[in-house]
Amino acid sequence: MLKRLGLAALLGFAATAFAGADKPALTAAELGRIAAHGPWPLPWTVDPGNRVSGNAAAIRLGHDLFFDPRLSANRRVACASCHDPVKGFQDGRRTGRGLVTGTRNTPGLFNLRQQRWFGWDGGHDNLWSASLRPILDPREMGGKASRVARALRSKSTLDCHYTEAFGKRPAASDPELLVNVAKAIASWLETLVSPATPFDEFRAALARQDAQAAAAYPATAQRGLRIFLDRGQCATCHAGPLFSNGEFGDTGLPFFVKPNGVDPGRQGGIKLLLANPYNLLGAHNDDATRDNATGTKHLRPEHRNFGEFKVPSLRNLRLTAPYMHNGSFATLREVVKHYSELDEDRLHADGERILKPLKLSEAESADLVAFLESLSPREAPPAPAVPPAVAACSVPRRRAPP
Amino acid sequence: MSWRSPAREAESPADRVRRGDCWRGVLAASILGLAAAANAACPPDAADGTVVRKGDLLLAYRLAGKTERIPMAQHFALEVQLCDKDGVSAARLHKADATMPEHRHGMNYRPLITPMGGGRFRVEGMMLHMAGRWQLVFEVQAGKEKLRLSHDVQID
Repeated sequence: MLKRLGLAALLGFAATAFAGADKPALTAAELGRIAAHGPWPLPWTVDPGNRVSGNAAAIRLGHDLFFDPRLSANRRVACASCHDPVKGFQDGRRTGRGLVTGTRNTPGLFNLRQQRWFGWDGGHDNLWSASLRPILDPREMGGKASRVARALRSKSTLDCHYTEAFGKRPAASDPELLVNVAKAIASWLETLVSPATPFDEFRAALARQDAQAAAAYPATAQRGLRIFLDRGQCATCHAGPLFSNGEFGDTGLPFFVKPNGVDPGRQGGIKLLLANPYNLLGAHNDDATRDNATGTKHLRPEHRNFGEFKVPSLRNLRLTAPYMHNGSFATLREVVKHYSELDEDRLHADGERILKPLKLSEAESADLVAFLESLSPREAPPAPAVPPAVAACSVPRRRAPP
Repeated sequence: MSWRSPAREAESPADRVRRGDCWRGVLAASILGLAAAANAACPPDAADGTVVRKGDLLLAYRLAGKTERIPMAQHFALEVQLCDKDGVSAARLHKADATMPEHRHGMNYRPLITPMGGGRFRVEGMMLHMAGRWQLVFEVQAGKEKLRLSHDVQID
């Protein structure tokens, strides 16, 4: 009964807050669907597969290694070279450029802790494995264990934090060295959570029935939200607080890549994942129960996986242009145009039938773009602060001379 | 046979062995009885969740764990009970799956079925990864006959 009263009050409030020519009242179903996109941020939990998840020494070590170009073959490419903190941990390029130019758009790195699959093809089922791949990939950083060990031992803070986190000094001969480094980087990455957005403020205002605060959400974004929820059915895939169901889909983009190649997307990702010794079914998963490996254990490869790519989170889009797995759209307006004029012939003949051309007017397209922009913070978040050194690794401050 | 034993000092060794057997029998029967009570869900009741019928076969399924609703885009497990007109069914849950008929696709994951005894099965690795109408599909092997039971669920 209380629930019903609450809903009735909320509906009354919604009708009041949204009455008007440019702000039609939200229905109960719409309110429920808006509520499903929050709250934000989500509660943070330790990664059971990473024994240094949440460990202060590992977090500091991971941060320092992320910015250290000495892990790469030419000592000039760091993780941060492509994942620039002031660009939402993206690089602004159509496709990433490490030691050579790649074929996929560099994904941003916010809100990784909540994700199930990593990479556009989901070739990794855990963040530490995904963090290790670019270090070793000859196209990206081209690193190796000896180089990593040398870098770690060259600086007392790195050496000390490694020793504090893992209980032993870094050694190139240690088969666990690379996976430990990856787990340290992952422990830092999983602390990167994007700030609340105008949409989050709107949703929270609805939840507490604060009409004044809800009215601050622009009318154009509200109309775009309605297209997103109803006519567009975008939340079918872009679901939940992350605006992604974490799975994969075919969006009718070309999968040809130069020169003379194709990007198989999820199909290739599943093959890589199952062959990867660092997946969650392997010996490096620190969760003895293997409960965190359910997705990998039950994977069902399908023919339709060819050309499917991960459904990206829609948070922070203003920071992470260009868009799509191949970076082929420079602006959100181009993305919306793609879905508005979708060529259904480009979708898999035996694939799922979810997408239909939205056939939006210019004004409707602008509304949808305004809504998508409202899923980013008003201001680009500053580069995250350097995590504090643990006490055992702090360099004593030199006393000022008397 | 009486479970009230005569004076023990009058027992021969053979009697003692027989008495021990009797008590072991009682213990085993009790354990089986308790297990049967725990599994005694034929016909299924409200606690067994949703009931789907095909001829004489009743299939009840419920979410394992404390989850009340099937979560979208998260893995979940089901507990399934098979019954027929005589009580617990000897049929076997052969397959569990789910599809989105309007979208023409199924799950991205392959569930595993574990028989639990007493006509019960546990299905692990399910995930309905999108909002919309899903159809849960169960294939049951009953003797030489394979039965297909389905049930629609709305995922929001």
